[in-house]
Amino acid sequence: MYGLTGQQFAHHALEMKQETEALFLLATLGDLAGLPIMPPIYSLGLLPYLVPEIATWKRQLARRKELWEKEEFDLHGV
Amino acid sequence: MNALIAVILGAVTVYLTYTRYARRIDRNVVQSDPKRATPATLYMDGVDFMPTNRNILFGYHFKSIAAAGPIVGAIVAATLWGWLPAMIWLIGGVAFMGWVSDYTAIVLSVRNEGHSLSAVAHRLISPRTRTILFLFIFFYLLLVAGAFVGIMATVMETQPRTHLGMILLVIMGLLLGQMLYRWRIGLVPATLVTVGITLIAIMTGHASEAWFKGLNDGLNALTHGAPLVTYFDPTLGGFKGAEAQVMPSLFFWAIAISVFCYAGSVMPIWRMAQPVVYVGFWITTLAMILGLSGAAIGTFTRPEVAYFSIPAFTGWNPQMGPAGIMPLWPMLFVTIACGAISGWHALFGSVGTARQIENEADMLPVGAGAMLAEFLLGLLALMAISVGAKGTPVAAFANGLGGFIGIWGVPTDYAVSLAFAAFIVIVLVVTQLLFRVMRVTLTEWLGEIIPPLRNQHFASFISIALAILLVMTGTWIYLWQLFGAANQLMAALSLLLVTIWLVSVGKNWIFAGIPMIFMYVTTVASILVTAYNLYFNVYVPNLHAGRTLPAVGSGLMVVVAVLLIIAALFIGVDGYRAFFRYRRQPAPSVRAAPAKG
Repeated sequence: MYGLTGQQFAHHALEMKQETEALFLLATLGDLAGLPIMPPIYSLGLLPYLVPEIATWKRQLARRKELWEKEEFDLHGV
Repeated sequence: MNALIAVILGAVTVYLTYTRYARRIDRNVVQSDPKRATPATLYMDGVDFMPTNRNILFGYHFKSIAAAGPIVGAIVAATLWGWLPAMIWLIGGVAFMGWVSDYTAIVLSVRNEGHSLSAVAHRLISPRTRTILFLFIFFYLLLVAGAFVGIMATVMETQPRTHLGMILLVIMGLLLGQMLYRWRIGLVPATLVTVGITLIAIMTGHASEAWFKGLNDGLNALTHGAPLVTYFDPTLGGFKGAEAQVMPSLFFWAIAISVFCYAGSVMPIWRMAQPVVYVGFWITTLAMILGLSGAAIGTFTRPEVAYFSIPAFTGWNPQMGPAGIMPLWPMLFVTIACGAISGWHALFGSVGTARQIENEADMLPVGAGAMLAEFLLGLLALMAISVGAKGTPVAAFANGLGGFIGIWGVPTDYAVSLAFAAFIVIVLVVTQLLFRVMRVTLTEWLGEIIPPLRNQHFASFISIALAILLVMTGTWIYLWQLFGAANQLMAALSLLLVTIWLVSVGKNWIFAGIPMIFMYVTTVASILVTAYNLYFNVYVPNLHAGRTLPAVGSGLMVVVAVLLIIAALFIGVDGYRAFFRYRRQPAPSVRAAPAKG
């Protein structure tokens, strides 16, 4: 029953959270994608906290044609 | 024949298919291994790849695949050929092909790093297969969008009792999104409020019928009763064909539906599309549960609502218009698409689902189980129209389902309002999602060549305009059958991919290969028949009568049919080459699965 009803909302809330996190990662570790925004001294300070998210973030970036494109998770089958 | 026998047949089909056939394939051929790591556990990122309990995943997958396809298809097939051929195809199709397609598509994705079917096709067959798949997807979506917009506009024009419910559905959907995501109200109270208000509006729709009828009359008075477009419809006059008209009121409702679909396509999914689908799901589920249970019980308590009253079989080739043909083979097999077998399930449901499979033992209950559940939805629709038999096919379905619901003591007016609403709701909520996927497909396919298509508003507008053009031809039945052909051709492509993958890993491919060949041959034949019907039954009469818009629309459909055949031939050739390429290679040794983290 949960799969039919509430799971989609919980899942979409996670997707919205990940979009925001992707933006944060772009701002802090943007030099990994060729976009140096934050000075390295600050990025290095945040690095230990961001390392677990880097692989996921890179996979997401690779799916997009442009950096500013929104991720539409519900349309990955296409 | 009565509804109880049909329900028993359905239950027996589900039981035997799952326990005797599906489990054997899962155990002996696919050899699902609960200890093997799945993409969800390997790449777990908490969003896209997320191991999910099988019971939750079943609900998610069923929700992704269940739509109006089994309902509309069963209605059309029973009207054309009688209930018996429709029932035989529903049962035989799901037992030997439908569950195979859904289940193996999930297996294919799980065993290939969670890649989509288009990505696997690119690797296993040829790069152009991915491009051809986009073509299939876009035209499939265009055809079904045109068919759904057409049928909805017609029903809303002729059934003013449904208008209040639909307006409240949209408003409550918007409210639900706001309540859940912005105001952080719990799901249960938000559901009770929004679904409750929508249900009340639907059930009391007949009270507002007169007002909305007045609106329709007022719109038609703008042209003094003159139609906007006149066209030749081969389905009227007992399928002998007659003149039909697009009145201002029909055009108004087609535009209203298009505006709703445009909003659903471009607004963030949480704002409108997702909550509207959720509210609509409750309405339809309530009607279906009451209907299915009422159908079983009604045989004893009120036999008059449970006995089939339409003919069991009307003929091998019923007449359709002055020059049309409608042979049982191949047309039945594309008229009932979802419910028996569907390519859309394989394409769309499998990726979202495959990336959430927690362990391989869940693939069968989720994939095959959800398809068998959708078969029951199609069976219910078939039973409803078989007992209804009053008025147009949709009205017959609503009367039939209303009769089943009425078994529970719901007054007839309210029951039939709920049944009409259940039909329109499920079609309406699916259509807005269709346009959403259409604009993405259009962007992926042609965005590099035509840069304006990368704008979501422009892509949505183009998609909707093309669908409206098809609606204006009036021949939604051919739209539906062409959609069914595109859908089944995608199922054949999915089965082709699975067959080639099975050959490449040295497994028995027969259980997927034979359905693939049947679907491929049948759908190509059906496209040829539909193209013939469109040309001689619609395009030529409208052209001779000087009706430009219907002629252009039907001409466009003939072009789409030809493109689908060309695409099918390309895929057939590439698939044939890939099959024998992998047959010549020795079977690779099985890789040891990495330990679960």
